[in-house]
Amino acid sequence: MKRRSFLKGALAGAGVTALGPEAFAAGQPVDNRKISSIPFPQKRPMITYSDRPPLLESPRYVFAHPVTPNDMFFVRWHMPDIPTHIDLGTFRIKVNGLVERELSLSVDQLKHDFEPVEVYAVLQCGGNSRSAFKPTAGGIQWGSGAMGCARWKGVRLRDILERAGLKKEAEWVGFNGSETAAYYETPNFVRELHLEEIGDHVIVAYEMNGEDLPYLNGYPVRLVIPGTYSDSWVKMLSNLTVTSDYQHLFFMDKAYRIPDNDCECQKPGEHVPTKPITKMNVKSFIGYPTNGETLYHNSYTTIRGVAFDYGAGIKAVMLSFDDGKTWQEATLGDDLGRYAFRAFTYDFKPKKYGKQTIMAKAINRAGEEQPLAKDIKWNHGGYKFNGIDVVTVEVV
Amino acid sequence: MKKTIFAALLSLGALNLHAVLNEDVEVPYVPFEIKMGKHFDLVQANCLTCHSFGYILNQGKQSRSFWKEKVEKMVDAFKAPITDEDQSLITDYLAEQYGNGQP
Repeated sequence: MKRRSFLKGALAGAGVTALGPEAFAAGQPVDNRKISSIPFPQKRPMITYSDRPPLLESPRYVFAHPVTPNDMFFVRWHMPDIPTHIDLGTFRIKVNGLVERELSLSVDQLKHDFEPVEVYAVLQCGGNSRSAFKPTAGGIQWGSGAMGCARWKGVRLRDILERAGLKKEAEWVGFNGSETAAYYETPNFVRELHLEEIGDHVIVAYEMNGEDLPYLNGYPVRLVIPGTYSDSWVKMLSNLTVTSDYQHLFFMDKAYRIPDNDCECQKPGEHVPTKPITKMNVKSFIGYPTNGETLYHNSYTTIRGVAFDYGAGIKAVMLSFDDGKTWQEATLGDDLGRYAFRAFTYDFKPKKYGKQTIMAKAINRAGEEQPLAKDIKWNHGGYKFNGIDVVTVEVV
Repeated sequence: MKKTIFAALLSLGALNLHAVLNEDVEVPYVPFEIKMGKHFDLVQANCLTCHSFGYILNQGKQSRSFWKEKVEKMVDAFKAPITDEDQSLITDYLAEQYGNGQP
């Protein structure tokens, strides 16, 4: 009986196992998931994976533009209880631990007592595009819209730490937000940064695209760490604690980690040493046209999309209309800074009827380029997918 | 189960960055279509305290050992008070309704 059910199981997985380890790779992420008819506060209707905690994804067409509107910006929380009310009169960001002076700052003080800085930066979930992995990796099966780019305004984290005055033994800063678990014993969603990681680009932001942060994106203040995945961009930031030693934390020690080897990959079921996901790899995504759209023969269509990386900057975006045999260079849009989405456009005149694939590949200034999805190796969390994007349209 | 969340009045928020934000607004309830099955009552009783059904069904179809690990993670990492017996019955439900046939 046991043996039979095992064989049955093995047979069901034969499609992957029979092909050997290289089959534990990736395809294209699920696309065109249904947009919910239910809008969340301050959001237009989005692809909705969960209401508690809220998990919302942007549909593909949002990425036809280099700046993602606040009301279409993706949302991902970890804990069920997000405060239902924030009173700016009493809300404080506390700084404590190994500091000369403990701070308790209001949002108003952040806005007026420090030099304001602005940065365009991409926020992307480490599990963005996870649904591309075969076999199914653990976690929410995101399509590719767990990302966005905004103009963040706030205060340099360094300036805040300087005001508090770091003690000599200070090495780490722990960041805690205001979301809480259902059970008292559940660890908070705390992240830590080593002081060496805190350059001038890391900010405590109170504005997003010229408005207050939307509630679901971390109102009133969140951490912004350009170039890194969003798991470290703590939302509704309320407490900074400076320590000499690294505090062991679930969300850094267990979650959001990938295999610590050259390919950052493993076989399903294989346990390997891991490291945190940090810097984002080079990626591009087509915002228009979307899958299944109709284009007209011999008639120009402007293909639009975005590309980004960890901050080296985008050198080129190449498009292919013949399944990757030849590549054409797209025109890059304005440079909004090295951490921003770089828009690209390409005027395309379809020359043949029927199904037409459009592929997009970004290359950064460090010479790194996106691999084909099939060349991306599997990891248990389905993190860091950056396969070449493919959209299929119909030419009539 | 707190479903309410507060949000700024949009128009005011855009006009005035220092708008006083003091209204509670509900985060909508989304009726995810969860599959009924043996021991569903335990899923309802134990899992919904922390997350919606969407969090379960949007993990995709997974192996029994995957679901077993997830349930254990809820207990070990997130400290959910689920008895050993309930853990195993919840795993049965998940493997049966959201399994991929793999052990």
